[in-house]
Amino acid sequence: MNIKEQIVSKITSFPTLPVMANRLLHALNDPELASADIAKVIQYDPALTANVLKAANSAFLGFRNPVNSISEAAFRLGTKWIFQIAISSLIYSNLKKPIPGYDLDEEKLWKHSLAVALMSEALCALLRVRDSGSIYTGALLHDIGKAVIGEFVSAHFDEVQSLIDSRKITFEKAEEEVMGIDHAELGALIAENWRFPALIIDCIRWHHSPDSAPNITPAIDIVHIADSISLMEGFGYGRDELQYQFSDKSAARMNVNSNIIELAVSQTVMTLEDIENIFKDMPAARNGQEVRK
Amino acid sequence: MALLVIGISDYQVSTKPEDVMITYSLGSCIGLTAYDPIAKIGGMIHYMLPLSQIAPEKAMAKPAMFADTGVPALLRDLFSLGAQKSRIIVKAAGGSQLMDQNKIFNIGERNFLILRKILWKNNILLKANDVGGVISRTLRFEIDTGRLLVKSSRGEAEL
Ligand SMILES: [Fe+2]
Ligand SMILES: [Fe+2]
Repeated sequence: MNIKEQIVSKITSFPTLPVMANRLLHALNDPELASADIAKVIQYDPALTANVLKAANSAFLGFRNPVNSISEAAFRLGTKWIFQIAISSLIYSNLKKPIPGYDLDEEKLWKHSLAVALMSEALCALLRVRDSGSIYTGALLHDIGKAVIGEFVSAHFDEVQSLIDSRKITFEKAEEEVMGIDHAELGALIAENWRFPALIIDCIRWHHSPDSAPNITPAIDIVHIADSISLMEGFGYGRDELQYQFSDKSAARMNVNSNIIELAVSQTVMTLEDIENIFKDMPAARNGQEVRK
Repeated sequence: MALLVIGISDYQVSTKPEDVMITYSLGSCIGLTAYDPIAKIGGMIHYMLPLSQIAPEKAMAKPAMFADTGVPALLRDLFSLGAQKSRIIVKAAGGSQLMDQNKIFNIGERNFLILRKILWKNNILLKANDVGGVISRTLRFEIDTGRLLVKSSRGEAEL
């Protein structure tokens, strides 16, 4: 097996996401379902329900009476917030492990992913882009490929870095040249294996190269811009540092200017702290475990 | 020794010689230190954005998020503790960018540009700087000596 085949063979042994994640995404994209149905889906899973309620109560200590049902939490905090917390808590355990190849300590990839997700959310609101829930999820998972490719990067880092230094190419291009596949493509294969919606798979696959996507969507551009800004602003660096490119075309397609970008940064940094604190003592969702129907 | 970690959008000042200030992962953000070597008073800020006009209410809650509100606040605090403007030594690091970055979205470059303006307006010289590149930097600043160490993937050096 060459390196690429070895890497790709790891995908099937990578932990699957709890089925709840697919169910939530399905509810989100089903036009027949009202937003209140997200709450119903969450209620199927007692552990997830407990996490969301814990988050709701710790987020707003100001509540005189604790929130004790999902529908009440949705009423007070909004369905969007409930969805974000629920999907984040399902993905959390896949992202919080340290990734040595990229020098990402425990929780580093999680923090970066959360920053990109919240930044995407802020950009969706500022630019009035639809599908913000799916885009949030794609943003949360955009670097998931690093969790699998990390050990290979570890073994080939010097090769990757010297290629970047000598040819002035970006990190993901060097990954691809050295190992036959980069973390973005690998992440897309993982999400395909999870049977995730195409919109999310696309966000992951093209997050460093939106201009190469055969079908460029606002979702792809939003995640690319959010990732680029998060890299700039230092939300969770690894060894790859800032060795990536920000597509001007992507910015032009979305009509963003420096004001919008800086506004999104200022909004994200505040919510990021809140949500990070909420997750500090959040029990991880059980990987791959079936929940009762 | 007390280790004071300066978070993103945060600043602190100290008069205690045993204090050491650290700030991590400066990308386009700028870490700035200001030090009075006679009074042995120093402070550090880690700001993210150049101008507060885009979100004045955020600047009220977190002045250190922006250069134009954070840097003056840091200097004011140092002066009120007894630091003298004529003796103040200011150094800055950070302001990185992505590869081949377009000027419009270059937050790092804008962060540094605004800083120079603020210091110039206040008649303060920038003694040393280590800005730009596609690297992330970590700073370590000793109140006792005013020594500032910049650490990155390229190694560690005193600024
Ligand atoms: Fe990436
Ligand atoms: Fe990323």
